[in-house]
Amino acid sequence: MQGRTIQKEGAMGSNTNGDFTTVIGPDAVFKGELKFEKGVRNLGTFEGQIETKGHLLIAEGARLTGEVTAGNIDVEGSVHGNLTSTGKVCLTSSARLEGDLHTSRLEVADGAVFVGRCVVGSNGAAKPTNEKPAAAPVKEQQPVAVKK
Amino acid sequence: MVKLIGADKSRERDVACTHCGGSLQVAARAMSVFCPHCAQRLILEDYRVKAYKASRLFATCGDIVVEKSGFVSAPIRVQNLTVRGRVQGDIDARGVVAVSSTGRIRGDIRATRLTVASGATLDGFLRIAPLATP
Repeated sequence: MQGRTIQKEGAMGSNTNGDFTTVIGPDAVFKGELKFEKGVRNLGTFEGQIETKGHLLIAEGARLTGEVTAGNIDVEGSVHGNLTSTGKVCLTSSARLEGDLHTSRLEVADGAVFVGRCVVGSNGAAKPTNEKPAAAPVKEQQPVAVKK
Repeated sequence: MVKLIGADKSRERDVACTHCGGSLQVAARAMSVFCPHCAQRLILEDYRVKAYKASRLFATCGDIVVEKSGFVSAPIRVQNLTVRGRVQGDIDARGVVAVSSTGRIRGDIRATRLTVASGATLDGFLRIAPLATP
């Protein structure tokens, strides 16, 4: 985390928006894992993982690289990574998303760029897993009695 | 006096070849034409699919609407596609792919625009970008 990274809106007295209690400023570079409850507005550069049940906004000009699991996601900037949403994902006209997307609802504005695998619908809300299903237990063969 | 179809310049439209992507002007009433770039036959009609349709390739320079009762099992090349039913196959659209709340698509989608209504189901690799973007 470099520079003035995260600012609480109430303390700064600006950017008052009910949904987004936390703002990652435009001059901030955040590397790491971020967990929160309500909402975060990312105006800067984020590299890492985000996990939340709340709302994430990647503003125009902002960049995000990594994995995101969130309730609702609004993309106005650039995202390079996989997004998983239990709610709605909105790609605005300035959005650029390169990565996989799993969501229950998707909204793509005219001019948005999206390259990646996409699962939308009731199956999309489930977090994708890379784990292979556990192999069935192998039955040990009983030694066969051989009659002499 | 015999008036040829397509002689009136004001009733022409621009289409893109579904095979080579080359652009050409055709009469608005024309139903098919041979592409001057690749010499393939192009269908220019609009389709409305209300039942099951399966083919090796479902291609038209017009629009396709898959109605709620429709099920297309084929790769689709089209200008604009509206899906209210089911589509199983890769989609290559030069315009808009619109999926309504009852629409289900299983296959890769390549289009310049995508609209997805709440309740729609998509499963595949998407490449949504304006035509100018490579």
